[in-house]
Amino acid sequence: MSSDSGSSSSSGDESVEQNPDSNPKLVDERFDLLTLTEPVELEPNHQENGNEIANGSLNRGSNDGGAEDDQLRVENHEIFGDEGPASPSSSGYAGERGSSSASSASGIGEVSEIDGNEIHEVRNDGSLEGISDSRASSWVPGKRHVDEDDASISWRKRKKHFFILSHSGKPIYSRYGDEHKLAGFSATLQAIISFVENGGDRVKSVKAGKHQVVFLVKGPIYLVCISCTEEPFESLKGQLELIYGQMILILTKSINRCFEKNPKFDMTPLLGGTDVVFSSLIHSFSWNPATFLHAYTCIPLAYATRQAAGAILQDVADSGVLFAILMCKHKVISLVGAQKASLHPDDMLLLSNFVMSSESFRTSESFSPICLPRYNPMAFLYAYVHFFDVDTYLMLLTTSSDAFYHLKDCRIRIETVLLKSNVLSEVQRSTIDGGMRVEDLPVDPLPRFGSSPHLGQQRPPTESPEGPREPCIGIGGPAGLWHFIYRSIYLDQYVSSEFSPPLSSPQQQKRLYRAYQRLYASMHDKGIGPHKTQFRRDENYVLLCWVTQDFELYAAFDPLADKALAIKTCNRVCQWVKDVENEIFLQGASPFSW
Amino acid sequence: MGCASSLPDRSSGRLTGLNNAENSGAPDAKNLRVKLVLLGDSGVGKSCIVLRFVRGQFDPTSKVTVGASFLSQTIALQDSTTVKFEIWDTAGQERYAALAPLYYRGAGVAVIVYDITSPESFTKAQYWVKELQKHGSPDIVMALVGNKADLQEKREVPVQDGKDYAEKNGMFFIETSAKTADNINQLFEEIAKRLPRPSPS
Repeated sequence: MSSDSGSSSSSGDESVEQNPDSNPKLVDERFDLLTLTEPVELEPNHQENGNEIANGSLNRGSNDGGAEDDQLRVENHEIFGDEGPASPSSSGYAGERGSSSASSASGIGEVSEIDGNEIHEVRNDGSLEGISDSRASSWVPGKRHVDEDDASISWRKRKKHFFILSHSGKPIYSRYGDEHKLAGFSATLQAIISFVENGGDRVKSVKAGKHQVVFLVKGPIYLVCISCTEEPFESLKGQLELIYGQMILILTKSINRCFEKNPKFDMTPLLGGTDVVFSSLIHSFSWNPATFLHAYTCIPLAYATRQAAGAILQDVADSGVLFAILMCKHKVISLVGAQKASLHPDDMLLLSNFVMSSESFRTSESFSPICLPRYNPMAFLYAYVHFFDVDTYLMLLTTSSDAFYHLKDCRIRIETVLLKSNVLSEVQRSTIDGGMRVEDLPVDPLPRFGSSPHLGQQRPPTESPEGPREPCIGIGGPAGLWHFIYRSIYLDQYVSSEFSPPLSSPQQQKRLYRAYQRLYASMHDKGIGPHKTQFRRDENYVLLCWVTQDFELYAAFDPLADKALAIKTCNRVCQWVKDVENEIFLQGASPFSW
Repeated sequence: MGCASSLPDRSSGRLTGLNNAENSGAPDAKNLRVKLVLLGDSGVGKSCIVLRFVRGQFDPTSKVTVGASFLSQTIALQDSTTVKFEIWDTAGQERYAALAPLYYRGAGVAVIVYDITSPESFTKAQYWVKELQKHGSPDIVMALVGNKADLQEKREVPVQDGKDYAEKNGMFFIETSAKTADNINQLFEEIAKRLPRPSPS
């Protein structure tokens, strides 16, 4: 954005804010440049409002069509979650109201009456969906409630079920309960699917009161989700796709041949010991935005540090390694692909989930067959996996089944370089320091002294026992900014701000992710979208979403946040992300850009 | 806990894995290196045996092995030779059965493990013995190991059954407990003694 308020540049990279606080008038003028009529209601059944969206997108053209990527301007028509024109029962954004009220009542005893035909959430028995989430760090991997089956009241009350079954109705996986005891239930699901299929049709979802049943048919494998979490259909379907992908990662799609030979084939033994992989994936649906953004995220690192890691990985990739991926938990340090090989973010998600949830990888170096469903669902690759420390691990993927000793040598070379260039210690420091914090959002445009600003520049040292951030607790960032996610479309990467008060509890964080997820689904709705902007206000947040050709921004504010200020703040967030992009994103070396 | 030494004498043969590039050097009579693969049903304690041997640790929480883990450990024998074991600890899960050749190909030693409280795992051990007789290196040293020997009160596979089967198939037999460390070092020492030595040239 050029400082000249009368014109706007179409290149976001040059955007420099001119001290808006010292000259509020200038700011106001700038924000008048673009006027978008806000999409008021995205429900397809509200035809009138749907038209307004279209008009809104067109209106912008009369000002400056090229400028929409630079500045966000949304006006009027706020939605109040409970009072807006939308009917409260409309599926779109009724949202987490139910669960928010439940959590305010200490989250105990939400279900007062048990209806045998319904699945409810049980909050007081340590279930995943319930109060146990208040201690996210204490989340224990693995399957729970194996003693349950479809006759158990507790099982019926679970808020979100996932099932995998075969086309003959044999259970393959169930999130809760023992698969073998769920044979009857599986057969019922299979009957529903084949009943519709026999009519030459396909069942996608069924609504039953509070519950939504979503079906996904993948050849001989059926996947079903039964949920009363009010997540949109598209989100649940995406989750089923990921569960299917996780299964393919373990077994490859050639599993279909077993069903061709024997339709009654029992697949459960083949998935022996993988409960923990699926339960960890399902858990990540409520904390990892990569599961709905279809993008990956990087651990913040100085540009030179990431470059050093990338260089040695590239070296190794040139020696016949298909993909070399260095990660810290679910965040990428660096990754390199052999020429013309591209790695889908979903494959990375599934691979890192598989590695992180399988304890044995931490014991020693491993060499295991894995399949990348988006890369080639039919074939196994071989993964050399080594943990440098408790969170940092290297994955070297190859097509050659006898490359272990070569990959081991590669790892030794990589480790030497990483230690010499302090990459591993920088990664640990970054883990402690964290990433972008809304409190650190530059209030004033950063003074430019020729060098670009750094991520931790204004941050007090982490060591300080009573840092200046302490008094900020409960306030969030400027203009009531609580949190944001910025997704770079070109890079297939996203950056998410750290959670800080008031979003301190895992329940609040999960609720926000669910809200983002709905926002994502509504922005990408094929029927009425895609949309460019959305501004929503309910009793939990103000949510602002802005989608351009280059990026998507999701931001959450205090529910009482001022709208104009919120919009201004979003522009500042985008500028901030651009200022530190060399530290938060993996640049250039990404195989996706080829 | 019996030790049946019924191995036929092997004076020659390849010790090492096919795919170990480091191993192309001339064989050293005093410093042996051998690829060892552990096979057996899931949950019999293969990883526990290895971790007890290599790190002296025992972790009762079960960690399902994925694919195969690689560890190495060197032991010194009384005749002042050293033996470096390059150990492939394979996953016992059914889905990896088809991939086992990847790990046992070129192995000089196969340790086949069952759980003395589980007759099914003993049956599975016999499957692996047959598989190795068919597809393993012809001069492979095989050991049959009955693990979880500390669970005497739950024993379902008699010592004699293991001994008899091992003898019939020319294998070394031992019962171990990774939990108490009983016979773990003995297992590897006995294997080391039975390794064919390169003839001095």
